[in-house]
Amino acid sequence: MTTTLDEIRSADDAAQRFFNRELSWLEFNQRVLDEACDDDIPLLERLKFLSITAANLDEFFMVRVGGLKLLHQKNPNTRDSAGMQAETQLRLIGRRTQEMTATQCHCFLEELEPKLAGHGIRRLSPGSLSERQTRFLDEVFCEQVQSVLSPMAVDDRVFPLLPGRGLNICVQIGDSDSASDAQPRFAVIPCGQSISRFVTLPSTGGYEYTLLEDVIDMHIEQFFPGESIIECVPFRILRDADMSVTDELATDLLSEIQDVLDARKHSDCIRLEISASVTTAMLDFLQHSLGVSSTDVYPTPGPLDLSAFMQLTELSGYDFLRYPDWDPATPTHYDPSQSIFELMAQQDCVLCHPYESFDPVVQLLEEAADDPDVLAIKQTLYRTSRKSPIVAALKRAAESGKYVTAIIELKARFDEARNIAWAQDLERAGVQVIYGVKGLKTHAKICIVVRRESHGIQRYLHFGTGNYNEVTAQAYTDVSLMTCNPELGADASSFFNSITGYSQPQQFLYLAAAPINLRDRLLEMIQVETECCRNGHQGRIKAKLNALVDPTLISALYEASQAGVDIELNVRGICCLRPGVVGLSERIRVVSIIDRFLEHSRLIYFYHGGDERVFLSSADWMPRNLDRRVELLVPVQDPDCRNRLIELLETCLRDNVKGRELLADGSYRTLHPGDQPAVRSQQTLYTQAQLAQQQATQRQRTVFEPHRADASRTDT
Amino acid sequence: MTRPRGAQIGWTPPRNSHRSTRIHQSPTTHPSRQMVTPLVNTLDNDCESTVRSVAVIDVGTSAVRMTIAEITSTQQVRILERLSQAISLGKDAFTKGSIQHQTVEDCVRVLKSYRRILDENQITQPEQLRVVATSAVREAQNRLAFLDRVYSATGFQIETIDEAEINRATYLGMLPFLNRDKEFQHSTNVITEVGGGSTDLLVLQQENVTYAHSYRLGSLRLREILEAYRAPRTRMRQIMESQIDRTINAIRSHLPPEGPFELIAAGGDVRFAASQLVDEWQTEELGIINVGDLESFTEQVLSTTDDELMHRYRLTFADAEMLGPALLAYARLARSLDLSYLRVSDFNLRDALLNEMATQGSWTAEFVNQIEQSALSLGRKFQFDEQHGRHVSDLCRSLFRELQDEHRLAPHYETLLILAALLHEIGAFVSNRGHHKHSMYLISNSELFGLGQNDLQLVALVARYHRRALPKAMHQGYANLERDQRIAVAKMAAMLRVADSLDASRSQRVREIQCTREKTQFVISIQDVDDLSLEQLVLKQKGKLFEGTFGMPVHLRPIG
Repeated sequence: MTTTLDEIRSADDAAQRFFNRELSWLEFNQRVLDEACDDDIPLLERLKFLSITAANLDEFFMVRVGGLKLLHQKNPNTRDSAGMQAETQLRLIGRRTQEMTATQCHCFLEELEPKLAGHGIRRLSPGSLSERQTRFLDEVFCEQVQSVLSPMAVDDRVFPLLPGRGLNICVQIGDSDSASDAQPRFAVIPCGQSISRFVTLPSTGGYEYTLLEDVIDMHIEQFFPGESIIECVPFRILRDADMSVTDELATDLLSEIQDVLDARKHSDCIRLEISASVTTAMLDFLQHSLGVSSTDVYPTPGPLDLSAFMQLTELSGYDFLRYPDWDPATPTHYDPSQSIFELMAQQDCVLCHPYESFDPVVQLLEEAADDPDVLAIKQTLYRTSRKSPIVAALKRAAESGKYVTAIIELKARFDEARNIAWAQDLERAGVQVIYGVKGLKTHAKICIVVRRESHGIQRYLHFGTGNYNEVTAQAYTDVSLMTCNPELGADASSFFNSITGYSQPQQFLYLAAAPINLRDRLLEMIQVETECCRNGHQGRIKAKLNALVDPTLISALYEASQAGVDIELNVRGICCLRPGVVGLSERIRVVSIIDRFLEHSRLIYFYHGGDERVFLSSADWMPRNLDRRVELLVPVQDPDCRNRLIELLETCLRDNVKGRELLADGSYRTLHPGDQPAVRSQQTLYTQAQLAQQQATQRQRTVFEPHRADASRTDT
Repeated sequence: MTRPRGAQIGWTPPRNSHRSTRIHQSPTTHPSRQMVTPLVNTLDNDCESTVRSVAVIDVGTSAVRMTIAEITSTQQVRILERLSQAISLGKDAFTKGSIQHQTVEDCVRVLKSYRRILDENQITQPEQLRVVATSAVREAQNRLAFLDRVYSATGFQIETIDEAEINRATYLGMLPFLNRDKEFQHSTNVITEVGGGSTDLLVLQQENVTYAHSYRLGSLRLREILEAYRAPRTRMRQIMESQIDRTINAIRSHLPPEGPFELIAAGGDVRFAASQLVDEWQTEELGIINVGDLESFTEQVLSTTDDELMHRYRLTFADAEMLGPALLAYARLARSLDLSYLRVSDFNLRDALLNEMATQGSWTAEFVNQIEQSALSLGRKFQFDEQHGRHVSDLCRSLFRELQDEHRLAPHYETLLILAALLHEIGAFVSNRGHHKHSMYLISNSELFGLGQNDLQLVALVARYHRRALPKAMHQGYANLERDQRIAVAKMAAMLRVADSLDASRSQRVREIQCTREKTQFVISIQDVDDLSLEQLVLKQKGKLFEGTFGMPVHLRPIG
């Protein structure tokens, strides 16, 4: 098929308007990698960032690259919104990721390892072991490794089906006395999951360890008695994920490649990561056996699978190599000794996690479980922690006869098996468990507690931007809104009735939900700003998101920018919007923050002719979120709460320490305070929360509050 | 000036506060309570909790809808949840004649799922819930099989409510809007809802219902006709319009030739149109749609396929299918009345039923007045003795109130009794022999505004029992009543017989009565009548039912 001039032209236009999402994602990973390379950051934190980039990259390959490859086979002429065909994208991705893996490796070998060694954390190679350590490893190999691992001989035709992501050893075996023209013989040893990659060595000081592949390498002859070993090389493959299950990232591609997926039996190998020491013979053999082209081979001089080093970052006794702990503050108006229902009845409240504690949310559910007046609890659960007190509370509530409904999304990427176990637990306790909505993924974070009070039914609501997971609530920046606003309560009930299939969607008073009207509501709000500016008034939009991909919304923002609306965006990850282009987006500024907490909250602000509007949302502005997920956009109506969130947004937008600004060419510029006061938003928000807590404690100290008989709780 | 101590007799509409006349009770005697059957008592339920949770499920033409609400001690209704599931009952009933097996099962599935929501809201008692079905179920040939299947599968007892009850609900729902705005005082107000199977029409002039009727014009019926004709697309429009116009002509003949008119449209289709055409419609108010706008929107809808409508407006299939024909009917009706705009009401049946639950079945004074007016015109049609009828009904009203502690009937029975009293003799138009039986069938085959079939049947029975045979199990119409309704009929008939005896002279000379309970008898003291022998004689014969029902004989005592 020939490409017409028109096509080229429109592709050029598209490229002018949008960044390619894959390349934008890679830029995000680069920003995380920059943290790993930043000398000002504690060493183990840097190692953590490094391992995150490696894990991210793995997932990116499995889901995105895998999808693009299939798309290229199926429909090579399809272009993305930036006008790129799959082939072009794959070429650019390949170039960028080779560069990135080189940087990762360099960062690990040249920067982190020597510095860690300086603090006593040493990876020892076979040559540098003491005699005692060698003897210890002999023992480890005999007792723990040899019996578990089994080499698989590879003859001409059959190559074993290796699982993706795991580490393997490829061994070339030579007959010591055979003629040189004999076919080379190979064997593969999958290292499996059961043995730790890190083998702690007996040492006299510090922490010394060696890697499993090195232990195997030292003892490889023992697997093949009487044979000579020519070469022993660790390698690792990635397969494209099973797309029918993992639609997390690739739904945009899925519809195009569905039949290709149906036709094949198992997923293809899409990346071969291998020690750079490999000989051509073995590499040829592996490439041939796995069907991997040279561009998909990633040779590395350092250890493979840097994501595994996350384990090392948790090493005890090295707190000085980590960020000091930032404990969550008790929210200002929160008093754990008081009923959460009373607190919520008094005022709406927003919580900014992880600066503020997640406890009030947990308390809401725990109190609801034990409160005799509570009739029903309904909530969504997406990813939650293994020993979640929320799950325990739901169970308890159901056991005590309350009507509990939990919508559990099983398509939560790779944690499925774990999800099912506790979901079944809940079912046994009498919780009505609903496993998501057909064809959609339930991503909204909402909880309703229905309580009968003397003046009638009262609904207590929690809306969040993050999962009901008190563990991630300590590491992700999220926002909670707790309210008993009756209109929102009615909306929340209808929302639940519709996603649980009890009713067709009813019209909401305040909420907007994807896939019904969330995008439309945002468009309306953006258009109001545009109109205001066209009529000579002010228009302002501020938003904080994790990803901005949706072409419709981006176009609306361009239009707003052209009309004169000032737009400030804080986008952590992918951003397909091209800012600062004259005649398109000169009024749009995009900042991205990578810091110790994962930026995760979604907040949107509209000036709205002076009647400022603030929303929190579970949705990123991506087609997948707006069209194929159940998401919520929640207005924050209480003025105090609204102002707090505006302040939070502005702090994030002002970050000039951990903030990077997106430039018109798609690159990111590190910001420097210069002569401005330095703002590291996470630090600022943490300090503010701590300060507020202190002030609240102070106030308490200056007011004497007698315990009265009628006020004291029965259980104290 | 001294106020008479007894009940004032005169033609005044009853007030909502039932006990406006205090009865004179002698302190030493206690009324016998042995006969008192605890009927749905409405007066002293409130003390337990101040807020009641209630629900209404409406098995309608295109959907099964449920509204859950709370009723406060001040009878305010607060909606908690609204649910809706598309079920095409109307399509089955109006096009195939009966509800298809799959549709029945869909309906059962939805109702079962609603049960959980009801449980969540602790709505478990029958008095907290009304499940009603409208024309689709009413008209289905397999109505009973459907109701039985639903009952056995879900435990829900669906009441099929008829046009009269819907008219009542509509009237009560609309009145506040009409009273708010002066314009309505001087015009003929046409309230209409085009449904799937029928078009309900209610005409009001200055609060008075001048006409109420249900026409067999419905959007699904129109669809069915079109399909039967297999007409080409261009002809379809013409056929639809001629069908609509035929009904409009019939409607027109019942309206005054000259305006001014106000057209108030209710119903899902026109509400949807309003949501598209009216900016920021506050549903507490009537929305105003320009007829031109409605016409062009209708054009647009009619030229769009159902699938596209579903997609574009996120409608259910059932709603998409009905939209175009219904809007066309509204638009043409508006044009035929020379209107440039029409009004849209957000009023719906479920809300009306909730309001009824809130007021616990006591009808408003305006509404009772409407029914009484309707009964009077029926009586006149049969040349009844209006003086006597009105007088007996006034006496009945007094007795009903005086005997509240004994009969413990819900307030709306008072209205039923009054209607029976007004109409008890209309059978004489046919023949004097056995006229009570003629009264019964005349009433049960007439239409009284706002009165459902069941209530109408009660009125007919009470009228029948104003003389001759006492209620017996073998009597037609009486035997198949529920027990509490049978007892209510007996109580009302007993009061009617006493009241009728009091006007045995047909001169309306018994004007003021006072009631007292003395040991074993119920004493009615009558002022200004010296010789009560006629009344006493008649009462001796007609008072047996009273004695049997209330456990005490009636004694008449002249005073003053």
